[in-house]
Amino acid sequence: MRKTCVHNNIRKLRFENDEMTQQQLAERVGVTRQTIVAIEKEKYSPSLEVAFRISEVFAEPLEAVFSYENA
Amino acid sequence: MDLSFQEKSAWGLLLGIVVVSIFYFPAAFKIVANAPHGAPLIGISIVGVIVLVIIESIYHAVIAVASGDKSDERDLLIDLKAERNAGFVLGIGLFWLIGFIIAQSILNARPVPNPLEIAVYIILAITVSEVTKLLWQIWYYRSGV
Repeated sequence: MRKTCVHNNIRKLRFENDEMTQQQLAERVGVTRQTIVAIEKEKYSPSLEVAFRISEVFAEPLEAVFSYENA
Repeated sequence: MDLSFQEKSAWGLLLGIVVVSIFYFPAAFKIVANAPHGAPLIGISIVGVIVLVIIESIYHAVIAVASGDKSDERDLLIDLKAERNAGFVLGIGLFWLIGFIIAQSILNARPVPNPLEIAVYIILAITVSEVTKLLWQIWYYRSGV
């Protein structure tokens, strides 16, 4: 499986936000649930726009949600 | 398996194209070898397209009702990457066909393929390229993009 260099805390943040489901997050961000699954598993790096929308949902700065590690 | 609408669509199209091709291409090459004109080939080509459209319309209607037909930036990226790979395959197929025609005329091993035969080879190249695209799409959905 191909992993990206962009890591994230989405699973943890969902848990901390009333155990928000992937479907709920997907609806609020405007993507499919499968895309949220792929982002969480680090199989897909979202666009900047989607990354900002995800951090907006959690009311966190971008760097609290995503981090970059050069492979 | 947890599949999005677009991934289900890719699987459905792949199976539809493979099934129709299994019947279409042997029949098309047989017609090209035997028929003096193109009417039968046009006939089975139209039938092939109609069968594929009917199968895919029903299938897509069913999966759209079942899981919605939403797509997003990931679907678009996967589509573009798969399309690029399929473009290489189509290019190779068409260059092979050009080389085949030129080689036939130079070597004179047998008569140069007739236009109907060339048409079937072009349809074959397009079909193989479309199958390649769908396989790449499925690969990117499963392994990541």
